[in-house]
Amino acid sequence: MNLFNCTVAATWVLAASSVSLAQSAPPVSVNRNSLVIADFDKRVDEYVKLRKRVQGGLPAVKSKTTAANIKQYQLSLAQAIRAQRSQAKAGDIFTPPVSQLFRHLIATPLQSSQGGRVRASLRDAEPVHGLNLVVNQPYPQDSAMQSTPPSLLLNLPQLPAELEYRIVGRELVLLDTAANLIVDLLPEALPALQGESAKQ
Amino acid sequence: MRIGISSLLICLAFAGYALQASPESLPSTDATNHTLYAFAAQSAASAQPSGALPLKLPLKPKSVRFAVIGDNGTGDKPEFDVAREMEAYRQVVDFTFVIMLGDNIYGRHNPRDFARKFEEPYKPLLDAGVKFYASLGNHDHPEERQYEPFHMGGERYYSFKKSDVTFFVLDSSYMNQEQLTWLEQQLRDASSDWKICYFHHPLYSDGKFHGPDLDLRSVLTPLFQKYGVNVVFSGHEHIYERLKPQNDIYYFVLGNSGQLRYHNLRRSQQMEVGFDTDRDFMLVEIDKDDLYFQTISRTGATIDSGVLARQSHSSNREQSQK
Repeated sequence: MNLFNCTVAATWVLAASSVSLAQSAPPVSVNRNSLVIADFDKRVDEYVKLRKRVQGGLPAVKSKTTAANIKQYQLSLAQAIRAQRSQAKAGDIFTPPVSQLFRHLIATPLQSSQGGRVRASLRDAEPVHGLNLVVNQPYPQDSAMQSTPPSLLLNLPQLPAELEYRIVGRELVLLDTAANLIVDLLPEALPALQGESAKQ
Repeated sequence: MRIGISSLLICLAFAGYALQASPESLPSTDATNHTLYAFAAQSAASAQPSGALPLKLPLKPKSVRFAVIGDNGTGDKPEFDVAREMEAYRQVVDFTFVIMLGDNIYGRHNPRDFARKFEEPYKPLLDAGVKFYASLGNHDHPEERQYEPFHMGGERYYSFKKSDVTFFVLDSSYMNQEQLTWLEQQLRDASSDWKICYFHHPLYSDGKFHGPDLDLRSVLTPLFQKYGVNVVFSGHEHIYERLKPQNDIYYFVLGNSGQLRYHNLRRSQQMEVGFDTDRDFMLVEIDKDDLYFQTISRTGATIDSGVLARQSHSSNREQSQK
């Protein structure tokens, strides 16, 4: 069981205990974290549905296996998604409650006994800083993609194959890999590491 | 530290020069000692013109032969130099495939970049029918998985088999639960004598710039040990390093087939051989229970070579049959 599941399970236990201990109290809200995650999943699903709709409308590509065709398909897909999400902005998927929960889920392994090795992995993974990332715009194609430590990934809700979490500085990026498109951004997702300014 | 490494390499160069033997005369490998042959040589003494090709592989019939490159995709002259040396060796060794340890294409990923940073340098190899099997590095775009010449089958992680060797190719930049589950199932189901994993970020490394990825190590090594992985190749550090076996697994770091971080190695107890003054590539030949290797610089010098015995833990076929 990963840390994410543990967190959710623990919240369920707490919620259940609250119910049994306070019979006279008004009904306890059912597992707030689960509701937040369910809302996140719903928003992700909506994006994936939109994306599939858009994909269906693209002209068929003979083969996506040459560099030229891969690039052409990527640009077409990104353009079509952008057009469908012209009003997209940061926070559409990482809503305030989702953001709060994600910051907690990311901080948990960093503050645990394994925190040292996670921080070391973040430091040694060729951190990417100073990119001006914008929702619904491409990830800069000549910039490296920082690896995301497994302990962080295993603690976050799983994503469909079309999307990935990426760490950029202290931001968490929700990336559509085939379209190379930034779907959403979570600023200050990572707590400031030692020796790093809070506003890096 | 620079003086230390250089001195060591020069000493080993002379030792290697004195120890050079024909592949047929290589002694068998001691399973507890792992490596009987290990000579690092990077000096004028060992550097030979490409025409001479001081081969350290036995070229046994029906053996599995391949080359290894990492952090190669710069499109700069050193990448072309290494590729030229690879082609010279291919004509003798007849390796049929190359494994790529990531950072296959640096910078932009326009069609012109794929040409300049991959298709042009390796054209002689591609023309000869050599297949490249890529893994993704942090400078690669995930959509490289669609690029046919990288033989990734559209997947970020995949496996392939050559004779009695199964290769597990991982995306170490994004080691999520799906990938770990896939890996465990693949390792459990594989019945090959040899299990080789390769991916970009090293689990062990004496490179000063990055060092080992400890978080990745914590999730991968339990699987490697449980299912008898024999050899692990990684890149990312722009140096060459062969480590002493860690928990009975052989580890190589090779991230200098295009890039280089000059004098970037910090000698440690876990390092067997290190090289950080030029680019290189590696040749591997697997025959029954032996893995022969030769690491060659872009000037044609053999900087490391030897033979490794298949570990006693890796009775993979028997394990799988149980």
